[in-house]
Amino acid sequence: MLRRSFARFLPVLLTLAMLTGAALRAQDAPRSITFFLTFIPNIQFSPVYVAIEKGYFAEAGLDITLEHGDEPDGVNLIAAGERLFGMISGEQVITARANSRPVRFVYEWFQAYPVGVVVSGDGTIKSAADLRGHKIGIPGPFGASYSGLIALLTANGLTEQDIQLESIGFNAPQVFCAGAVEASVIYVNNEPIQIGNLAARGECGDVHGVSVLNVADFADMVSNGIITNEDTIASEPELVAQVVEAFHRGLSDVIANPAEAYLLSLGYVESLPRSEALIDALESAAAAQSGALEGGTAEENAAARGALLTDLRTRFDAADLLQLEILSSSIDLWEAPRLGYSDPESWQVTQDTLIQMGVIDVPIDLSAAYTNDFVPGEAESSS
Amino acid sequence: MQLQLVSRSISKQSGQKSAWRISVRRIAPYLGIALILIVWQAVVWMKVYPEFIIPSPLSVAERFVEVVQDGRLWMHTRTTLSQMLVGFGIGTVSGVVVGYCIAKSRFLEDVLSPLLVAMQSTPIVAYAPLLVIWFGSGPTSKIITSALIVFFPLLLNTAVGIRAVPAAQRELLESMSASRWQFFYLLEIPTALPVILGGLKVSATLAVIGAVVGEFISADSGLGYLVNRARYDYDTPLVMVAIVSLAVIARLMYGSIAFLEHRMLYWRTYADQ
Repeated sequence: MLRRSFARFLPVLLTLAMLTGAALRAQDAPRSITFFLTFIPNIQFSPVYVAIEKGYFAEAGLDITLEHGDEPDGVNLIAAGERLFGMISGEQVITARANSRPVRFVYEWFQAYPVGVVVSGDGTIKSAADLRGHKIGIPGPFGASYSGLIALLTANGLTEQDIQLESIGFNAPQVFCAGAVEASVIYVNNEPIQIGNLAARGECGDVHGVSVLNVADFADMVSNGIITNEDTIASEPELVAQVVEAFHRGLSDVIANPAEAYLLSLGYVESLPRSEALIDALESAAAAQSGALEGGTAEENAAARGALLTDLRTRFDAADLLQLEILSSSIDLWEAPRLGYSDPESWQVTQDTLIQMGVIDVPIDLSAAYTNDFVPGEAESSS
Repeated sequence: MQLQLVSRSISKQSGQKSAWRISVRRIAPYLGIALILIVWQAVVWMKVYPEFIIPSPLSVAERFVEVVQDGRLWMHTRTTLSQMLVGFGIGTVSGVVVGYCIAKSRFLEDVLSPLLVAMQSTPIVAYAPLLVIWFGSGPTSKIITSALIVFFPLLLNTAVGIRAVPAAQRELLESMSASRWQFFYLLEIPTALPVILGGLKVSATLAVIGAVVGEFISADSGLGYLVNRARYDYDTPLVMVAIVSLAVIARLMYGSIAFLEHRMLYWRTYADQ
């Protein structure tokens, strides 16, 4: 009798067991998140690659897919809730909020504004004031490059009318070396190294060396960082904290061990040089650095990076090391005593620049544009 | 008598139907535009996307009036138009000339065709950045981009049109000891003209794309630049104003060539009747 009843309920029990199993599996399945990045896959995004490769996102139950595109598209997608997170520059957040996009900056990645003006090292332009009357290339009169240039000019008593501005797209090394412009607005951690390499090979016209006028030396503006939308902050603050925490760990690891970061980025950036000899050298360096620099000071980290590059330069040519040099220069812009922290003063400077440029007409409430509440180690101090 | 009445009645009915059809065809494009506006407004009302992603037709119209009044739209339109028209002219002339030479010389076709096919099959956006590096960021690179995109359809249609000259007509002119010039303007041009003008209609719209691609890569004026600038300013209505302006220019270009075709090929209209 009992056996017959059991046989009758067996299919029901099996179905229930299957459904429970499926539900549990679904609960365990990582949540898929598309993370928006600008530009194209590049060594500069290594903190994200490292966070993925070392499982920091996975530990938080997140499965990250990367998507590249133009900043305004990313901002619009995040504002509309189509994407939840992205890496966007601060001035875009202010402009977007002034135009009804409910986005918010939650982690400042670049602690120094990465834009500058590259000039010939042996030319007549020695300071920002010397830019007057010269032809200066720029990707286009919009975005972070334009904001940075205007801030640089303003800090040196110049206006856009004092220079000859020429849009050259993202072709600064070629256009500058062809002599079509006398200076060019660039990202300080990238193009100056490329132009320097071309000049060293004698492939940059009359230019034999470069120097850079850094916007960060004149104006403390907000650069790139993680943004999300207000709905996500309100409804899923723990998700925001998890994403920020995972990125923060990735960033800290890159600063402490750039050789390891380079190796972990190989699967994401196909243009990275990857000869067997270079990989062997980087693996040895990564193993030596592993653990040695955790919690190291900025000076210690910089010294370790310098030593690594000095050693590699004796064994590899400039083209092999270009991307590692870019990574090292980028780390200079990321490192700060308080990683991820946004300084209210830098937001004010950025907004003032945007108003002066006519990008926005009236100031916005900057306290709504960013928060330090999700920055690891800052939440307690800000609350 | 009765048959005549029936015949007249049928003829009158068919005339009315024909007039009705002509009227409907005349207003059809406006119906299409009205339909798009209705669907667009419906999408806005249904809040499928926030208004900063899809602004309402009214807000786009308001932005249009603003940029017309402050002169920005005309300034950018003038830049795009001038670059596009020069590029269109250069592309048309060179396309027709090279197309004619290719039609006349199989050897030349063998030499040029791999290069031409490679150029045509490569998207213009892929090599437009190179044109900016080679020819600078001024109007030259945009004119060349526009000319290149116009060149191939014209070349192809000219070659096809010239080769389509019937052998019997060629023999007839030969029997009359016609000169080369007479062959050209009495036979080849009239025969090839419908095909060339077909290519010209396609090229007229492509010329707009060429100029705008160049402006997207690097520019500080023009409708392509305006789209980029408005995107970075999060001014979606202005993006749409620029896009609509480009569509209007492309339509006007197409319409102008269609009008030219109608005037130049009047004999074909009579033949159709």
